[in-house]
Amino acid sequence: MIQFFQVTKYFDRYAALRDVTLRVDKGECVLLTGPSGAGKTTLLKLIFGAEVPDEGQILVQNRNIARLRASDVPYLRRTMGFVLQDFKLLPQKTVFENVALPLIIQGTAGLEVRRKVSEALKAVGLDHKRGSQAAGVSAGEQQRVCIARAIVNSPIILLADEPTGNLDTNLTMEIIELFKAIHARGTTVMLATHNRQVVEEMKGRIIRLHSGRVLSDQGVYSETNSLSCP
Amino acid sequence: MRRILYLVRETIANIWANRMSVAIGVVTTAFTIACFGVFFLLYWNLKNLAGSLQDEIQVMVYLEPDTSKVMVSGVRRHLEGEHAVASVAFISEQEAVKDFHQQFPEESSLLDGMGDTPLPASFVVTLAPGFQSSELVEGLAERVRGVPGVEFVRYSRDWIDTLGLFVSYLEIGALVIGLILAVATVTIIANTIRLSFYARKKEIEILRLIGATGSFIAVPYVVEGAFLGVVGGGLSLALLKGGFEVFRFELDASGWFQGLDSVIAFFPLQISILLVVTGFLLGSASSLLSVYSLLRSRA
Ligand SMILES: Nc1ncnc2c1ncn2[C@@H]1O[C@H](COP(=O)(O)OP(=O)(O)OP(=O)(O)O)[C@@H](O)[C@H]1O
Ligand SMILES: [Mg+2]
Repeated sequence: MIQFFQVTKYFDRYAALRDVTLRVDKGECVLLTGPSGAGKTTLLKLIFGAEVPDEGQILVQNRNIARLRASDVPYLRRTMGFVLQDFKLLPQKTVFENVALPLIIQGTAGLEVRRKVSEALKAVGLDHKRGSQAAGVSAGEQQRVCIARAIVNSPIILLADEPTGNLDTNLTMEIIELFKAIHARGTTVMLATHNRQVVEEMKGRIIRLHSGRVLSDQGVYSETNSLSCP
Repeated sequence: MRRILYLVRETIANIWANRMSVAIGVVTTAFTIACFGVFFLLYWNLKNLAGSLQDEIQVMVYLEPDTSKVMVSGVRRHLEGEHAVASVAFISEQEAVKDFHQQFPEESSLLDGMGDTPLPASFVVTLAPGFQSSELVEGLAERVRGVPGVEFVRYSRDWIDTLGLFVSYLEIGALVIGLILAVATVTIIANTIRLSFYARKKEIEILRLIGATGSFIAVPYVVEGAFLGVVGGGLSLALLKGGFEVFRFELDASGWFQGLDSVIAFFPLQISILLVVTGFLLGSASSLLSVYSLLRSRA
């Protein structure tokens, strides 16, 4: 599904990622963690083609991302869903319109759009808010709208970068449950976070990054591992 | 279908959200195109005028007083033998006087007391198309001057040549001014579009993230630019037409250059449409220019 071979990424001679090799299989739930500046966001950006590796190769669904032309990047992204820390909704548009956007840009037929958007909104429990303006709903609801938008297209991979960064413990728990449900349906989930609650609750494979290197890569969270992380 | 609907709505929303800068863009575009239009209109009219004058180059061949009938027909034969001559009309001394009275009724008294035939008889020579160049006319005049019975030959070469030269200068001028103003228009529209673009930077980021292609994102901006150009072009046309009518009215009222108002004309429909099409092309080109980088980048 996703493979990194000795990937290095520099920003002005500073290596944000150094010699990273990893492999994520279909249906896995991966938690990327590590201190600020460790390279979590950079790693995700490489997967969706927003950045190009300086060294090494990246395969996503057997396509070499490093060699992808800029004009092919949008088509790669349509197979993925994204959830980011700052919600990135269109504030003036309704919840429905926001969630429908990934379908509209692909030219999906109107009836299909309505069906899929309803489905996605139901999955995040917000079908009743479909007509509300995005800016008007609460922070937790906004993030759920983002998740609905990320899954409306039935993506093969769901990428999330600090999806709970702006939310309190209760709302975080809600979001965690949603991610778990999405993962349970067979979607590959890759989630970058330094929120311990998320790491503990998600119970996925944990990849720990530090200064651009993979520090550890193991099945489930445990207290001892967390202590060994500087 | 929904996609098209979405793009239409986005475009309208863009224009509405930026209505102030769009309005400024439209007005400046209109004035720039109108500037060129004024110049072009001047050029257009002078060119037409020069063309119609060139068609009407006439050579006047004045005969000596009391030329015999035989000599007159000798001159006629000579003239009709010339390649460049299309037609020849004879005006007798009596007819010349009559014509004078007709053309200048108020100055009739000038001829009083100058005898029965104050004006010489003449031939009015109309030139065949293709023989209207000044060299050919010059050669013709030279030959005709030598024919017995001819007193002198007159033709209005000088100022027709000057007008022709002036028109060709205007042609170069129109090209240069047009080019400068085109660059100005492109800059104005490109800036307006760039403003619109930056105002929606966040939105574009989202569209990119969810896999919209560069061209999809660019469409509303290109359409906005094209719209700006078309409306600007149309407005400039209205400005020109209005200005032109005022000018013509003033000309009529002032009483100067009588008869000129029948010669001057506004652009024909084709040229008017061309002006709007020019606006459209400039608008689309400038917006493409300003979103070009978008079409190429990844992030
Ligand atoms: N566009 C960029 N230009 C320059 N440096 C960058 C850029 N993006 C990231 N970096 C640098 O690369 C390193 C890794 O950044 P990255 O955003 O991947 O870290 P992170 O693990 O996501 O951190 P955080 O937890 O704070 O989000 C940082 O030192 C950062 O300053
Ligand atoms: Mg980050």
